[in-house]
Amino acid sequence: MKFAIALLSVCGLAYGVAHAETIPPEKVKEKAATCAACHGADGNSDTPAQSAYPRLAGQYHDYIARALHEYKSGERKNPIMAGMAAPLSEAEIDALARYFAAMPGKLDDLSKHEQGN
Amino acid sequence: MTRTKLACALIALTAAFTAPAFAADAAAAPKGDAKAGKALVYTCGGCHGVTGYMNAYPNYHVPRIGGQNYDYLVAALTEYKTGQRNHPTMRAQGESLSDQDIKDIATFLSSLTAK
Repeated sequence: MKFAIALLSVCGLAYGVAHAETIPPEKVKEKAATCAACHGADGNSDTPAQSAYPRLAGQYHDYIARALHEYKSGERKNPIMAGMAAPLSEAEIDALARYFAAMPGKLDDLSKHEQGN
Repeated sequence: MTRTKLACALIALTAAFTAPAFAADAAAAPKGDAKAGKALVYTCGGCHGVTGYMNAYPNYHVPRIGGQNYDYLVAALTEYKTGQRNHPTMRAQGESLSDQDIKDIATFLSSLTAK
């Protein structure tokens, strides 16, 4: 019996992961409008007043998703982002992370900046 | 008006006048030394300088930090230094840095643009 329950929950979990709801692009854009106040509509937090907020444009999507998960769980503590991340579903976190990761911006890894430029 | 209330009002008034001045100072203040920052950033390249480098357990890409915003970088490094952010490798790095080091690093990194 216990085994059957365990099997069922594993199957259920697998089903949930495989069939995670996909969010239509217009819905993602709508969600992202909230982020724009601090991170800019283009994800670049480009104004001097936005310097305290990270640029998201061009960041790795899985890093953005990780950060949102940490804000949601409380592992990373930030009063603003805790409130933003709390209501997001897995699918929404993934969609928002990909949305901003795909935008062009200043962010780069350091492999090409040995000369300080 | 009681003496306490008067004191509170006075403090509020002072704060109202000085806060914008502080903000202006922060914007105009020289940040760090990009050259010193560049030397310190050598260490960061071990993870942040390898395109596609992954953090292990859990697996995710280490973030792109070139071109990131100055104030955010200062906050992030300071949070690692104080333990408010708890990534083990980054905590160790943060602990080794002085406040000036952090400013220098943030000045250098925020000056970069994507190539």
